[in-house]
Amino acid sequence: MSQPMPLGSQDQLVLQNTALADILSDLCIVIQGRRTPDEHEGTLVRANHHISSNLTLPICERECVQRIVSKLNTGSHPDDNESPGDLFLKVYRKLLAVKIDSNLRHSLMCFLLTLADKSMELKSINGTGAGGDNLKHTLGIRNPSSSTHSINGSTSSHSSRQNGSVGIYSYDATQSSVGFGRQPLPDYMTNMKAQKNLEATQDIVMNAIYSFTGVQGKYLKKDVVSGRFKLDPVNAKTLSPVQAGMLLRLSELGYYHDRVAKFADVTTGFNAMGCMGQAFISKLKEELMEFHGQVAVLHDELTKFRDNQLRQHIEKDRSWMEKTEPGALGEVTLLKLLAWYVTPLHRMQWLTKIADTCQLRKGGELASAVFNYLDNGNSMVNELASSLLTAICGPLVRMISKWMLEGGICDSYGEFFVESLNEVGADRLWHDKFRLRVNMMPKFITLELADKILKTGKSINFLREICEMTELVRGREELKELMNNNVSHIFSYVQDTNWHAAVETCYQQTSKHVLDIMVGPHKLLDHLHGMRRYLLLGQGDFVSILIENMKDELERKGTDIYAHDLSAMLDAALRCTNAQYDDPEILNHLDVVVQTPFPGDCGWDIISLQYIVQGPLATMLEPTMPTYKALFKPLWRMKHMEFVLSMKIWKEQMGNSKILRMMNPEIGKASYRLHLFTSEIMHFIHQMQYYVLFEVIECNWVELQKKMVQATALDDILEAHEKFLKTITVGCFVNTMTDMERHLETVYENIIGLENWQSAFYKECFKELDARKALAKKVMESEASGQFGLTADEIFERDHERKQFDERVSIACRGLDDIAIAYEKAVSGFLLALNSNNDPNLQLFGTRLDFNEYYKKRDTNLSKPLTFEHMRMSSVFSTSNKLSHSSRFVIHPQASKE
Amino acid sequence: MPSEIITLQLGQCGNQIGFEFWKRLCLEHGISPSGVLEDFATDGMDRKDVFFYQADDDHYIPRAVLLDLEPRVINTIMGSAYSKLYNPENVYLSKHGGGAGNNWASGYSQGDKLQEEVFDIIDREADGSDSLEGFILCHSIAGGTGSGMGSFIMERLADRYPKKLIQTFSVFPNQDEISDVVVQPYNSMLTLRRLTSAADSVVVLDNTALNRIACDRLHIQNPSFSQINNLVSTIMSVSTTTLRYPSYMNNNLIGLMAPLIPTPQLHFLMTGYTPLTSDSDVNSQQTVNVRKTTVLDVMRRLLQPKNMMVSTGPDKTNHHCYISILNIIQGEVDPTQVHKSLQRIRDRKMAQFIPWGPTSIQVALSRSSPYVQSNHRVSGLMLANHTSICSLFERALNQYDKLRKRGAFLDQFRREDIFKDDLTELDESRETVDCLVQEYEAATRPEYLQFSVKRASGDSKTDEAKALAGGGV
Repeated sequence: MSQPMPLGSQDQLVLQNTALADILSDLCIVIQGRRTPDEHEGTLVRANHHISSNLTLPICERECVQRIVSKLNTGSHPDDNESPGDLFLKVYRKLLAVKIDSNLRHSLMCFLLTLADKSMELKSINGTGAGGDNLKHTLGIRNPSSSTHSINGSTSSHSSRQNGSVGIYSYDATQSSVGFGRQPLPDYMTNMKAQKNLEATQDIVMNAIYSFTGVQGKYLKKDVVSGRFKLDPVNAKTLSPVQAGMLLRLSELGYYHDRVAKFADVTTGFNAMGCMGQAFISKLKEELMEFHGQVAVLHDELTKFRDNQLRQHIEKDRSWMEKTEPGALGEVTLLKLLAWYVTPLHRMQWLTKIADTCQLRKGGELASAVFNYLDNGNSMVNELASSLLTAICGPLVRMISKWMLEGGICDSYGEFFVESLNEVGADRLWHDKFRLRVNMMPKFITLELADKILKTGKSINFLREICEMTELVRGREELKELMNNNVSHIFSYVQDTNWHAAVETCYQQTSKHVLDIMVGPHKLLDHLHGMRRYLLLGQGDFVSILIENMKDELERKGTDIYAHDLSAMLDAALRCTNAQYDDPEILNHLDVVVQTPFPGDCGWDIISLQYIVQGPLATMLEPTMPTYKALFKPLWRMKHMEFVLSMKIWKEQMGNSKILRMMNPEIGKASYRLHLFTSEIMHFIHQMQYYVLFEVIECNWVELQKKMVQATALDDILEAHEKFLKTITVGCFVNTMTDMERHLETVYENIIGLENWQSAFYKECFKELDARKALAKKVMESEASGQFGLTADEIFERDHERKQFDERVSIACRGLDDIAIAYEKAVSGFLLALNSNNDPNLQLFGTRLDFNEYYKKRDTNLSKPLTFEHMRMSSVFSTSNKLSHSSRFVIHPQASKE
Repeated sequence: MPSEIITLQLGQCGNQIGFEFWKRLCLEHGISPSGVLEDFATDGMDRKDVFFYQADDDHYIPRAVLLDLEPRVINTIMGSAYSKLYNPENVYLSKHGGGAGNNWASGYSQGDKLQEEVFDIIDREADGSDSLEGFILCHSIAGGTGSGMGSFIMERLADRYPKKLIQTFSVFPNQDEISDVVVQPYNSMLTLRRLTSAADSVVVLDNTALNRIACDRLHIQNPSFSQINNLVSTIMSVSTTTLRYPSYMNNNLIGLMAPLIPTPQLHFLMTGYTPLTSDSDVNSQQTVNVRKTTVLDVMRRLLQPKNMMVSTGPDKTNHHCYISILNIIQGEVDPTQVHKSLQRIRDRKMAQFIPWGPTSIQVALSRSSPYVQSNHRVSGLMLANHTSICSLFERALNQYDKLRKRGAFLDQFRREDIFKDDLTELDESRETVDCLVQEYEAATRPEYLQFSVKRASGDSKTDEAKALAGGGV
């Protein structure tokens, strides 16, 4: 412990000559570098103090010198050609040359060592990051004022000693000397008081620093409810209003720190969730850590300052002039803190804000939430958001690359935007197993991109599981590297980054691969063609032969039909038509199925063709199979009608007309009506068939084929195929729930009715014909045997039978009329529905059905323009008009009796 | 094999056009004259079974029966490169070889005498097919064998195979030149009766029109038989193209014919074909007739009378109309064009249709043979049922009436069995044809639906029926 020295004693000790002062200043320059003159002088003055203070020196002079040299050398200025250590030694030798007290020299060296320590520290602070910079900056601003003060004080006290000395700083000396004269000697008591005050101030500052990290102190307590800091009601009385205000302001940082800390703590339940949430939290923690580091530096400053204070406290009597002795550091005051806390506060506030929006979010939602902050004009916020988003997207990018390259989903928190449904089996892998989780899609991933990502992984899964291919994507490692290491590319505004390119490459490669596999070894296109030909009846000869082969079965009752009989017929039909040239692989998929018959069903209703697909094809085509089934029904029914009309009704008419020619007087009118009615229906069915088979199916098929050739991905084909099916479903009047379907059904029913009518009619005719032939034969026989004539009974019976036949014919005619009336009503309704339809194709089909405007002339409704009123009224009119029109088929009963 | 069709070739003309027809089919299917499939024709896009069957050594044999009463034409065929094509058992030549002397009655009675042998062949051929669809008969109506024997065979076929279709390609005589067959009107009339009553559909090949087309459209002076026959074979092959190159519709004969023929009587079909090129055009590489062909062009030209292969004479009253139309379009066709063309034809009213029922232009798009080169992108054949065909019958009636009034050349007919007693056969034939003409005329009017009633009441020529109906009264 050193005792206070009288002022006068200094005179003997310090700087007896200018030579020593020069050397000293040189030494200082070597250590600190060149400074402003008054700064330099301050140092000298402090050196004087130090020398005169006569402290017990911890280390010997020699060691001091060595340390200084090593210190100087470690923090050497790069531009110096001579290392500062050497320089120092040079000057030191000069000092040795000067004859001074060795103790004095020793203490001088000690001072220089501390000086060197300080300057090194300053340099290292210089080197820290933004926060440190800020810290140094803030302190740097404050330094001059405090040091000026201290220098002023010291100069004033020492100027008497330096008064006579003339050196490089002479102007300073004069200035000081002027001040010296004016300033009164400081009051000891005031100094003591100030010292105490200082203690309190440091306490407050400490409190403020504590509050930065959310620690309560003497003055600042946390509000239990809001979590904000408030002044301790008891201790705060000692604070001045200014200090209290500043403390409160500073404590705000603590509040935000607390908030962020809460968001970063998984146990609180206020965090973002999932993997990406974890990444977010860890990033928050990182931010907090950095903040804590900065606060620690502050704290350190304060502690150092306090240590000095403590030291000075011991040398109490001199402390009043040395209170700011560690001038290089400066005192940490509330004002300085206020200046410093702005930047961290800003950052903490934004962190809080972002973390707040991220609460309880996960996956894409989380990413989208953070992505929104990317639009901020403040570069700090922008940078902050971007770094957070990068952290968040890390797991996402890895998930994407795993999915796109390996087809795996590693997503235990359900945050990936591709979802695999476990309960969906492999057979529906392509269509249903994977889907997009739209709410998990980050904003910066477009739907298109997400779709590509989905398809890529799906394709890989498909290849692996269904096609059992283990081949990996070409260049997988590179792609993976590229994708995983460019995390921040994922949310770039323009989608032209390496990451996007990698995704695109991956997508194209995989989809091409799948397409090649499906079109190549699995013959997708051939199968589609096969289905079009056999299920959609494109192979006309096959269908007609099949019907011909199965016609007995088709007319049988549903319960009497056995599938095994039919498959033999199917094989026969395949063998003897052009289908035989088809790929056997395609034909093997074709099968005939018999549904469980309902009572009253005949073969036509329950027999249908089926295309059985297996393996990868099933995965692709299974969802469309019900559509094919639905399409097959009306097409089959149409073929049924055509078959009935031409093979049965028309053919029978042609054959029978030759045989029954002699009965023309009796049945002429009826059969005439029959022929014309048949030809009318024939026209309808043929046009209908032409429309459906050619204009609907064939035209759309041509379109589909074009698309199939152009397709770059499998989904292109499947989409086109689905569209094709959809269009023809509409075109074939399947499940349209319109009048058309109903009218069509009526037409079909009438055709069946006509067939039944005709067979009954011809049966009657042949019965009559046979009777006549028998009679004629009898006459011939009796003629031959010489017994002429028939008995009166026989003649009477014959006449009676004839009359009966005539009556039956006329009854039959009425039956035919009924059928014709019902038919015409249905056709008119159908035409009207077609004409009033909005689809131009259907309208044109309507004109096709009525090419020579036959119906139009008969039904005024059809020629009316399609006005709204017409649409409204047509339903009223059509019912009343039709009855009068339909009379054209009525045979006059008088005529038939003749 | 399914939906088979047996072709019967009768007489000089029938065998000639049949020969051309088979030549054409072989060409289109890539079958060599000896029946062996050419190497380039193995892709199986076509359906050969309808007209051919395969022998044990896989060579193709036409389902054809060649019948004639004189050996000249058949000998020519058997002397040609195609002699190996036919099944020799199916070639029947009358033993005495004298022919029918252009006499219908002679042909008819010879048919009667030879029927067992002839039907042996036909039955065997019919048994050899899985589901026979019908017969195609090639003959002319003017000569002796084709008309007379053809008539007889038609009647027998209708009896024997009532469920099978009988289609004929009947060549009508050239009206513009004086025929060397003086009894041609009688022959025609007698054959027409059978064509009306026994055949299911008749494709009329009018030599008058064919000659005119050869002169006017193909610029051939004095066209030869082979050139005319080339036209005929084109029509025959194209009209069967949907059977041979199946697609979604019209793949059997009945599907082809049924929509065309509304009532059993009105089954006489006209044909038209465009664009026309002759062999010489193709060979000399003249580009005279190569025109732009779109679907609309083709369909419009098909409706022009000058392209029709039947000369119907000027329609003075302009009342004749189409009963039905089927257009078989071949070539590179954009499906949507068909639709537009039909719409255009309807809007411009290019064709007149019957007023008594719905009808329209049916279109069948068909593939054409990949082995036959054509310098036209699109070609089309029209099969039409048109009421103006009756003018052909009217002309025949007139000529018949002229001859019959004078009672000329009837002696040679009386020599045959059928005319031994009287000439009612001739009169009945005339009556039938007259009825046919009336029916066609009636079909031009909206009241056609009532036609049968009128005819039935006004027609007294139902003796036969009355006799049966009246019994012993």
